[in-house]
Amino acid sequence: MASVKIVLPGDIIDTRREEDTTQQESNVEDEATVIRLGPGLVQSSEAVSAVTAGVLHSNSETNRWWVAGNKRRYVAAVGEPVVGVVVARHGEGYRVDIGSAHDALLSHLAFEGATKRNKPNLAVGTVVYGRVVVANSVMDPEIECYNSNTGKSEGYGELSEGFMFKCSLGLARRLIDTKAPVLAALGNGVPFEVAVGVNGRVWVNAGSVATTILVANAIRNSEYLDAKQCRQMVKELLEKQ
Amino acid sequence: MSRPDRREASQLRALNCSLGQLNRADGSAQFSAGNTSVVSGIYGPVEAKVYEEKLDRAVVEVKFRPDIGAPTTKDKWMESAIRNTFEREILTHLHPRTLVQIVIQLREGDGSVDSAAINATSLALVDAGIPLKCMITAATCAVLSDDTTVVDPTQEEIDAARSTHTFAFASGSSTGPLYVDSRGDFTMDEYNHCYDLCALATERVLAFMRTAIEGKVTKEAKISAA
Repeated sequence: MASVKIVLPGDIIDTRREEDTTQQESNVEDEATVIRLGPGLVQSSEAVSAVTAGVLHSNSETNRWWVAGNKRRYVAAVGEPVVGVVVARHGEGYRVDIGSAHDALLSHLAFEGATKRNKPNLAVGTVVYGRVVVANSVMDPEIECYNSNTGKSEGYGELSEGFMFKCSLGLARRLIDTKAPVLAALGNGVPFEVAVGVNGRVWVNAGSVATTILVANAIRNSEYLDAKQCRQMVKELLEKQ
Repeated sequence: MSRPDRREASQLRALNCSLGQLNRADGSAQFSAGNTSVVSGIYGPVEAKVYEEKLDRAVVEVKFRPDIGAPTTKDKWMESAIRNTFEREILTHLHPRTLVQIVIQLREGDGSVDSAAINATSLALVDAGIPLKCMITAATCAVLSDDTTVVDPTQEEIDAARSTHTFAFASGSSTGPLYVDSRGDFTMDEYNHCYDLCALATERVLAFMRTAIEGKVTKEAKISAA
């Protein structure tokens, strides 16, 4: 496997691959490969350059290239699960703070089983778990608290009790994408439920206040710890309890 | 003629930086060259006030706070100069109707403060993940009364200098500097000589920044891969 390539803003990326040069005999000379640029890369005239710092990744099958780096400020993207807090109620729905530059809109009807007569009644300050359905640079983002295709909540909706805290976007993604060692280690020790938003917000609910705080602290601490260190850290926290 | 701290004429002071130390900011960096130390904090993209938002791009706001006392006209001027430099290099069209706020605090000033502020802000923007066209690095030169030119002057050297020049360049760009500040009495030859020295010095600053950022990214990547 090639060594990890770290790029800085302004670095020109060479998107040709080693395989391309050997296949040149069989390919037509003028054939151009379509390259898809993901986060962190832009095209400037003929060249591809990085605009954020991080590890350069590429997928040879789909010809996608992107830069993976950690951030704290969320920028909404369609399809992502987010944890938000209701900050205002309007005639058509709620305004939810999901940590992006603009608050998201949540329609009254975007819940399981909601009709015009039967709308959920969320107070300001309610924590909700939703999915981003509209996100672009020119409009305010919109979220929904159910799966609009199936009509089921599928875990989305109001999150009652518990405690919400903020973490970096990288940690949030690790908690969702991989079998996070910290969650597995905690799960062996205490019962709890957790909702992770890709926007860097995590909601935790355990039996008691002390346990909830313990789980929250363990997750926060795990940012720079590897699997073994996570298990050790969780073990120490549980013993101190 | 030897410099008070016995550096070579084109030698920078010891550079130091740390990223991500402010835990309420979206990105932050502390940059120091010798005794000059600057912290830069980035907040953004956040919601801009309606009267200052731009419909097609992000607004960039800079606040510069001196080490001692309330901000003066000099600091306001620095805010405006830094804003003009970075506004062109931040990809503001990706985040319309938002604000990117840069807050720079001078912790200790011992000459070459403006170049340290620019370097710290560059690192902080990278830490915040704000999209940039390039890295911006800056360096200061002073022409002394005996006509020698020194790079990264201390305050003592600046006070005794005939002219001082700060240049900021975009990484990997062959076009001219992004920021130029020249003060005092100088000839065009002296100016050109300072330009060349600063261009070389900023390359060293860029290499230093690259090492620092790679360290941070590697640490994060290791955890992600683990």
